[in-house]
Amino acid sequence: MRQMALKTFSRDWRAGEVKVLFFALMIAVAAMTAIGVITERIQGSMGEQASEFLGADYVVSSPRAIPQEWQEQASENNLVSSLQQGFSTVLSKGDKFQLVSVRALQGNYPLKGELEIADKPFAVGIKTQEKPEAGTLWAEPRVLNLLSAQVGDRVEFGAVELTIAGVIVSGPGQASEVFNVAPGVVINAADVAAAEVIQPGSRVNYNLLIAGELAERESYIQWLKPQLNATQRITGGKEGTPALQASMQRAESFLRLASLVSVVLAGVAIAVAAGRYSRRHFDYAAIYRCLGMQIKQVHQLYLWQLALIGLIGVVLGVILGLLIQQFIIWQFADYLPKPMVPISPVPVAVAALSGLVVLLGFALPSFFQIAKVPPLRVLRKELIPSAVSGWIIYLLAIGAMALLMWWQSDSWMLVAILLLVSLVAFIIIRIFAWLIFKVGIWLGKRSPTSVRFGLGQLKRYPAFTISQITAFGLAFMIILSTFLIRTELLAEWKNQLPDDAPNHFLINVQNYEVESLDKILNDNQVETSGIYPMVRGRVTELNDKPAADYLSKEEYQRARALRRELNLTWMEQLPNANKLVAGDWWQRNGDETGAIKLSISTEIQEMMKLKLGDKIGFDIGGLTVEGVVANVREIQWDSFQPNFFVIFEPKGLKDFPASYITSFHLKAGQKPVLNNILQQMPTVTIIELDKIMAQVQKILDQVTLAVEFIMLFVLLAGIAVLYAVLQANRDERVLSATLLKTLGAQSPFIRASLVAELALLGSFAGLLAVMTSEILVSTVYINVLELGAKLHPLYWLIVPIAAALFIAAVGWFGVHNLLKQPASQVLRQA
Amino acid sequence: MLKTKNLTKTVSSQDQDLTILSDINLTIAEGDSVAVIGASGSGKSTLLSLLAGLDLPSKGEVELAANQFHQMNEDERAAVRAQYVGFVFQSFHLLPGLTALENVMLPIELKGDKQPRQKALDILTKVGLSERVSHYPNQLSGGEQQRVAIARAFASEPKILFADEPTGNLDSVNGEKIIELLFELNGQFGTTLVLVTHDQKLANRCQRQIGLDAGKLVSDSSNTAIETSKTPPKQVASHDALVEQVG
Repeated sequence: MRQMALKTFSRDWRAGEVKVLFFALMIAVAAMTAIGVITERIQGSMGEQASEFLGADYVVSSPRAIPQEWQEQASENNLVSSLQQGFSTVLSKGDKFQLVSVRALQGNYPLKGELEIADKPFAVGIKTQEKPEAGTLWAEPRVLNLLSAQVGDRVEFGAVELTIAGVIVSGPGQASEVFNVAPGVVINAADVAAAEVIQPGSRVNYNLLIAGELAERESYIQWLKPQLNATQRITGGKEGTPALQASMQRAESFLRLASLVSVVLAGVAIAVAAGRYSRRHFDYAAIYRCLGMQIKQVHQLYLWQLALIGLIGVVLGVILGLLIQQFIIWQFADYLPKPMVPISPVPVAVAALSGLVVLLGFALPSFFQIAKVPPLRVLRKELIPSAVSGWIIYLLAIGAMALLMWWQSDSWMLVAILLLVSLVAFIIIRIFAWLIFKVGIWLGKRSPTSVRFGLGQLKRYPAFTISQITAFGLAFMIILSTFLIRTELLAEWKNQLPDDAPNHFLINVQNYEVESLDKILNDNQVETSGIYPMVRGRVTELNDKPAADYLSKEEYQRARALRRELNLTWMEQLPNANKLVAGDWWQRNGDETGAIKLSISTEIQEMMKLKLGDKIGFDIGGLTVEGVVANVREIQWDSFQPNFFVIFEPKGLKDFPASYITSFHLKAGQKPVLNNILQQMPTVTIIELDKIMAQVQKILDQVTLAVEFIMLFVLLAGIAVLYAVLQANRDERVLSATLLKTLGAQSPFIRASLVAELALLGSFAGLLAVMTSEILVSTVYINVLELGAKLHPLYWLIVPIAAALFIAAVGWFGVHNLLKQPASQVLRQA
Repeated sequence: MLKTKNLTKTVSSQDQDLTILSDINLTIAEGDSVAVIGASGSGKSTLLSLLAGLDLPSKGEVELAANQFHQMNEDERAAVRAQYVGFVFQSFHLLPGLTALENVMLPIELKGDKQPRQKALDILTKVGLSERVSHYPNQLSGGEQQRVAIARAFASEPKILFADEPTGNLDSVNGEKIIELLFELNGQFGTTLVLVTHDQKLANRCQRQIGLDAGKLVSDSSNTAIETSKTPPKQVASHDALVEQVG
């Protein structure tokens, strides 16, 4: 039977019988391979970019010295590692003193990305990945300004003197921490001991930086995780850096979703092609049976066929997919993150296995049906084998698919959403296809004969029509959903970093300086986002108990915000990039007596175990102030706006001496304004975010490009599926058009009826796709991307029209050549 | 060779049972040629499908070469067909994806014979299609397609050949040729022939005519003219022998 199957396969191949199924499988596997591999490579490479932002792939931080074993284990895993200590101390020069945040390097820094060191503030520098020499330091520009120092000057650092060897122009940084740290300096760890700045009880943060190959660092992190205690933590990898976290996660979710939808598309294509294959083989099987072939033999014959199609289709599909992704990476090398991580076997294996599972799952029921064909069909053509109940096979296939999808995406949530929504969509589409099909028939009765005939075609084969609408509808749904999600993400990213986003912050502006600052900015045409007051204070009591007693020991340890001064402010209105999640914002001219209302961030709420109405006591410059939690805000940390953990009602803080904070956008040539400001107000602290934001923008640009690529791919895969479906039903269309021709119908009539049929199919499918897309997209927005649900009314009009045009055009393109064949030839083949 | 006893076929439609054939009793001897005639809907094709084991009777018995069809399942009947039965259909039923040669090889391969290719070539030569063996059905005329179908039917050297309106899709000239060919091969192979037809000329070539009307056997007559002129079947031992004779 194997030999016979091989023979049959080669004959069927030659005759074009297996081609549609074979190509559907091959295109599906190629699309899954290309999308899966590109997604993983881009995702991995985006991780690399994020690492440059962090200065390493991972940073392990601990309040105590890092155990030596951790670093040894890292080198055993072939990872590069470097130790550093972070602490605050005072630098002085003459009579000037400044609190600085020190990074003392034992090894090289950064391990990923570069530090740019210049010889004067705001200049272009030299890039380095090393540490300063012992006895020297590198400082951020404002340190020099505050100490009235220049490069080459000596400053006192505890018990020793260090030489300022350079100014840090740019380097790895974490935007969200910027507001809470004193200006930074980098020194060589060799100088720490002699300086005697670390005493018992000093707060020191020990960091272990890790960089290396993906597999090795992942296995290291797996090894390390169980050994961490509550005060130690790992930053990096999938968690990313705070400033990019949300964007990266959304991009990853999108890419994962895209690779999963390609699997669903493949399923649709293969199911349709397998249905066609088996329909065409009923006659074959009836003749085989009539000539004496046994059911078992027919089964074997077709199972061998299926195995051959599967094997060859999958192998060629994988090869094609790899070639396509390599071509894209080669073609767009300049725009993609570098270096690209190598191809991993996982997406390739997933694509190959998915192809086989989809083929078996969706083709087996059709293939089993072939063997059940009654031999009597040779005499009575209307006999169709009873459909094999494929529920168990379908369920097994869907289960296997779910596992594969999970393997690829690592997210049960996405897999569940996609499968459930597809299932719901499938059911809705089925029901509505039937309804719309009735409406179409009704419509048809009021149309010209040719159109009526075309619509009549749909009516004559209702099961066939419904299955086509289902296949088109699912394919359109997937393309449309991917498109909508992509558009939303891109808008979101654009929104996150508009071109004129503030890229410089001034803090520590004194009350009497506000006026002259305003003047300088005005003279230079720099617009600010407003000038906010700021008071520093420490949380001391929670619900009338000392914070240390109110929380458990472990909770207290974890609540970092309790152990340092917070920037407090008062506002009349809820600031941008903040969203209320509980309680109400206060009235503009609220009650002047009564308890002071507070607005806290969700982080503070969780850290300090607070709810609405709870009391917080603050120590502000030695005075105690108590407020009541009136609402909770969710802060968008990647917004590059001044953000505050705690905001007071205006009456609560306005009597305290405040300093002011403001932010503005400076264009590239406007940097000298900063010197101007510093000359007039030397105590003002300038935070430059432009370099970091450029870095973030670069990453977002690349992520955007990646998303666009994948969108293009999904679109191509979708078109391939639609084409396969149309191909699968081509025979029936050609036959009925030929019959019309033999009955004397002229070309315009045939064309009109064919186009009417296809356009109606397309518009139904388009309408159903919009409905189901809205469900899928809302579910993904809410559950995966954490965006609000949104409807897209315009698409309800556009998509059905576009789908009708598309299906009519592609369908027509597929058959118009065949219509030129002599009628006799077509009829003889039928 | 073929025997039926009280053969009855009913189908249940929406609210009543419809009797298509009732109480057919027949015996067909080896080497006989029998025409089943009758108007459309008289049950001819149903009788053929029951005799060939393509379908099961509702009641009664069918025995082909000592095999009790009515007691056998699909696969057992298929095995009997592979062993003893050949078919020629009105609409030819060639496999469109296979060449003329491959179509003819198929039953030989199914029977498990050696050298299917040579045997198929021989018989295609016999039906006059040696030049067209690698053509596909859609490249052949109707008459040529039916000749391929006849070659396929005889390729497995069946003991009994069933033909369902073999000339029904052909013009009279081609129909004549097909009839000639069918009886010529039938004579050479000594095959029992059962054919269903509207075509009186074709029916007249058979030794025996069975008339059906509304599912009942209404006439059964021997054609004496044929009986006397009939050449005794030559026993053909193998294709090689046949080729020797022909060549």
